[in-house]
Amino acid sequence: MSTAQTASPQAAETVDLVEWYFRQGWTDGLPVVPPTPESVESMVAALGGDPDRVETRVPPRWGSLTREVLAVNLVLAGCRPAYAPLVRAAMLALCSPHFNLHGVQATTHMAAPLLVVNGPVRTEIGMNAGANVFGSGNRANATIGRAVRLMLLNVGGAQPGDLDKSTLGHPGKYTFCIAENEEASPWAPYHVERGYRPDDSTVFCIAAEGPHSVTNHVADDPEGVLDSIVSAMSTIAHNNAVSSGACAVVIGPEHAATIAARGWTRADVRRYLWSHTDNTWDDVSFGDRYGRVYNRNLPRWYRRRPGARIPIVPDPDDIHLFVAGGEAGRFSAFLPGWGHMTSPVLRALDGRAGGGRAPCVDGTCEL
Amino acid sequence: MTSRQTLPSGQIVFDPRGAVAATEIRLAPRPETLRGVRLGVLDNSKWNASKLLRHAAAALDGFEPAAVNRYVKDSFSREAGDALLDRLAAENDVVVTAIGD
Repeated sequence: MSTAQTASPQAAETVDLVEWYFRQGWTDGLPVVPPTPESVESMVAALGGDPDRVETRVPPRWGSLTREVLAVNLVLAGCRPAYAPLVRAAMLALCSPHFNLHGVQATTHMAAPLLVVNGPVRTEIGMNAGANVFGSGNRANATIGRAVRLMLLNVGGAQPGDLDKSTLGHPGKYTFCIAENEEASPWAPYHVERGYRPDDSTVFCIAAEGPHSVTNHVADDPEGVLDSIVSAMSTIAHNNAVSSGACAVVIGPEHAATIAARGWTRADVRRYLWSHTDNTWDDVSFGDRYGRVYNRNLPRWYRRRPGARIPIVPDPDDIHLFVAGGEAGRFSAFLPGWGHMTSPVLRALDGRAGGGRAPCVDGTCEL
Repeated sequence: MTSRQTLPSGQIVFDPRGAVAATEIRLAPRPETLRGVRLGVLDNSKWNASKLLRHAAAALDGFEPAAVNRYVKDSFSREAGDALLDRLAAENDVVVTAIGD
């Protein structure tokens, strides 16, 4: 840690600070917003003051995330102070042992932490839950996800090729943050289903691949829409197929309306998707073409014999279902997860435990 | 502790990395011979790592260890649990493991 130095009497030439941060290797590859004492102070104030307080440590480098360091990264990312409590909650959730951030950061897989935000904070800070929800154009979504990534890089040390060994990565390693479109959803918000109150604000985190589009402009019933999602899920290409774990499904508002018009609940949707994916043991064992396979990364209770169905995830509740996206367009998305090596986590911004079944430790709930 | 620095130009910059507070743990001394040691073989449960470990353990068998004890981690990515680490330490003089995708 450097201490302050006094300026020389002959003032040196003014430095282009954007380029200076690039030279230090402290960016995500895009220009950062150079912090000033004032902007850092405002951000620390939004976190409750006490700049030296360590909020958590970030693996695999295990850098100490003090409030000041958190604030610096928030400014670098372009965040407003109002975003600060949400970003802190996300970092605390990501650094809980259940999530295994160490593994998520270092894996050769492409997974990146996806944040999904629920509750009043979405509208208070102007998040986008509608059109182009996974895309560009909204400051809160973009810079919250970016701030998290900058901390994973700077504090966690996950520099590509060094401690981040991902073969391919994916674009969500710049920013990967959405809000649930609670207003367009026919169902109770995700966090309410998990035991929180509607006026609680929460952030959900899952290590996920990028979204795979699911198109269905024909079906006018739940089964038809969901069969298309089942089709996207029923492949041996993603990690869930061979490493189990959890995944996310984002239902577009038009699809959600079609499904809910027949009285189907969120639980019905999850159970239908879970029940009808049709990978078999032959698919995931390659028919033993490369040697006798047991696959210890799948649950013990799966039948390991020809023709046996292999679920994409062990339990319908391992399909994390959200409604998001614009009002027009009959699209949904499937986001495979990393596998059993990580558990999705959910945390309220104020650290209050939910009233659901999920065990919550220090304010973060393992799902 | 502050992440703040002042450049020669007088401009103020901030280090976003956070300090690493770690204590150094020394490696156990290297055994002088493998003959007669209790050899632990820790499988991390990955398909290719397991193959590598099988071959490594077979090669080490030529050193005539007193015992070869085999273990499997619950998850190749998560840290081994305390109970498993305690057993590895108590039941072995040397432990080999393998990683590989």
